Amino acid sequence: MKNMTIKVTFLLCLPMLAAVLFACAATNSMVAWHPTEVTAPAICSDCHTDGRAAMDHTPDFGIRHKFYAAQNSQTCGICHQASFCSDCHANKEELKPSDKYKDAPERMLPHRGDYLNQHKIDGMINPSSCFPCHGRQNNERCKECHR
Amino acid sequence: MKNDRVYTYRSLLCPPFRRQAAILMVLVAFLILPIICEAVDLTGTSSTYLMSRETASGSNLLPLYEYLNFGVNNLGKESISFQFGGYLRYDLNNNEVFGKDKNSDLQYAYLSYRKAASNMVVNLGRVMVFEGVAAERVDGAYIRTDLKGGFGVSAFGGVPVETGTDLPGNNTEYGARVSHQIPNLYAIGLSYLKEEKNSEDFRKEEGVDLWFRPINKVEIVGKSSYNQITSGWMQHTYNLLLGPFAKLRFNTEYSSINYGDFFTGATSSVFTFQPGGPIDPNEKVSILGETVSYAFTGGLNASVDYKNYDYDIAGNAKYYGGRVAYAATSGGAGLSIHRMDGDVDRLSYDEYRVYGYKKINKADVAVDLLLVAYDVAINGIDNAYSFSLAAGYELSEKLKLGADVEYSKNPDFDKDIRTFFKLIYKFDLAGGKGKGV
Repeated sequence: MKNMTIKVTFLLCLPMLAAVLFACAATNSMVAWHPTEVTAPAICSDCHTDGRAAMDHTPDFGIRHKFYAAQNSQTCGICHQASFCSDCHANKEELKPSDKYKDAPERMLPHRGDYLNQHKIDGMINPSSCFPCHGRQNNERCKECHR
Repeated sequence: MKNDRVYTYRSLLCPPFRRQAAILMVLVAFLILPIICEAVDLTGTSSTYLMSRETASGSNLLPLYEYLNFGVNNLGKESISFQFGGYLRYDLNNNEVFGKDKNSDLQYAYLSYRKAASNMVVNLGRVMVFEGVAAERVDGAYIRTDLKGGFGVSAFGGVPVETGTDLPGNNTEYGARVSHQIPNLYAIGLSYLKEEKNSEDFRKEEGVDLWFRPINKVEIVGKSSYNQITSGWMQHTYNLLLGPFAKLRFNTEYSSINYGDFFTGATSSVFTFQPGGPIDPNEKVSILGETVSYAFTGGLNASVDYKNYDYDIAGNAKYYGGRVAYAATSGGAGLSIHRMDGDVDRLSYDEYRVYGYKKINKADVAVDLLLVAYDVAINGIDNAYSFSLAAGYELSEKLKLGADVEYSKNPDFDKDIRTFFKLIYKFDLAGGKGKGV
C-alpha cells in the first residue's frame, strides 16, 4: 500500500514538474523551413560549424540518419516534407523506392535491381536491417511467400 | 420499395464506404480552403505511376498508382497546418497485384500545431513518430516540447498502424521520451514504448539514445534498446565519426544484435526463425565496420569500406570494397566494387555497380547497372544483373514526365523486363513557400 502511494505521488508529481519546466522554458522554436535553398547532397558543415555540421549528407548518411531522426526529427522537417519519409517508411507500400526514382541512381535507394534473390542474401547477413521497415508494416508483399 | 431505400441507406453507412466518404469530404474541404480563405496556402505533389511487368506465373500486370501528398499551411494561424499523404492503386489488366485487384493506403494525415517558442509540436491524426526506440505510425496524438534547462519531453499514443496480425481485440500503443542536451556538446534521451494487442503485452521496449561531440570533428552517435518482455538487450548500435580532416572522414560503426530479443514484436512470420532453418533464432551478431572517405574538389568523392560480421552460430563474413562517385548540378556518375566473403555459400559473392545521370536542358537521362557474381551458382545461375535506363522531360516547372525500362536476369527469372511511366505534378495553390523534397 505504501509503495502504491509512492508510485501515485510520483506519477502525479511528474506532469506537475514538466508543466513548471515548460512554463519556465524560453527557447525559440526552430524555423519551419530552411531559410536558404539547399542543393543536394546537403553538406551542412559548409555553413554550420556547431552540432548541425554532424548532419552532413555524406554517402553513409542513409545508414546514420536513423540516429538523428530518433533524437530530433524536427531538424529533418526543415528541409524534408513528411512524404520524403513515407517514400520508404510506409505501411502498405507496393512500389520499391528505387522503382519510383530510377532517374536518381545517386540516391542509393534500397532494393535496386534484382531484389527477389538478393533479399535472401541480405536477410541472412543482417535481418535487423529489414525489420524497421518490414517488421510490423509494409510486409504484405513478404506474406506472399512467407506464410 | 421502402425496404430497398433502407438497404441502400444502410449500405452507404457501412464502414468501408463511410470511411472513404469521410476521407473524400475532408480532402475536398482542404483542397477548396485556399480558394475560400486567402491566407491559407496549399502545396503538394500528385504522382501518377504506371508499371508493366510479368509475374512468375506469366500474368501481365499493369498497375496504375496515384500518390497524393499535400500540406495546407496557415490554417487560421501560421502555426496550424494539415499534412496528407496516401495512394490508390488499380490494375488496368484486371489482374490481382499482391493478392488484391485494387489497393490503397493512408500513409499520414494529421493536423499539426507548432508553437513559436519551446519547439512545441502537437500532431493529431495518423502521425509518424520517430522518438528514441519508437519508429511508429499511429492513429492518435504526438506531442513534444522543450523544457527548462536543456530538458525536453515527447509522448505519443493511439492505435498502431500496422499490417494485420491474427490477434483479435483492440490494439493500443503509447510511449514517451525524456531528453537532456547541452547544445553542441551532447544530447541524451531515455525512451519507453508499450504496445498491447487484445489487452496483452505485445511489445515493451526501453532505450537510450546518444549524440556526443566532446571536441570538434569527433562525434559519437547511437542507441541501445532493451526488450522488457524477454528481459534482454535487443541491440546496441553506435557510430564514431571523425573529420573532416582536410576532406578526409572516418566512420567507425559497431552494432550488436541479439536475435532472440530483437525479433519479437513482428506481424509477419518472416522474422520468426526456426531452429534448423537458415537463420537460428538464438543467433547473435556483432558488426564492426570502418569507412574512410575523401572528398576531392569538384564533386568527386572516393571511399573504401570494410565490415566484419561475427555471428555466434553462422560463422563470420566480411564485406569490403570501394566506391568512387562524381556529382555535379548537370549530372554525375559512380562506380563501386565490393566483395562479400562469408563462411556459407550464400555469403560469398562479388558485387559491382556503375551508374550515371545527365541533365540536358529540360531533359534528363540515367543509367544504372548492377552485377552480382556468386562463388557458388544459385539455381544454376552464376551471376545476376539488372540494367535500367530512365529518361525524363520537364513539360513545365510543375509538370514532369518520365519513363524507364529495366532488364534483369537472376536466379529467379531468366528474363525480367519492367517498364515504368510517371507523371509528376507539383501544385501550389497560393504561392506558398514550400520545402525541397
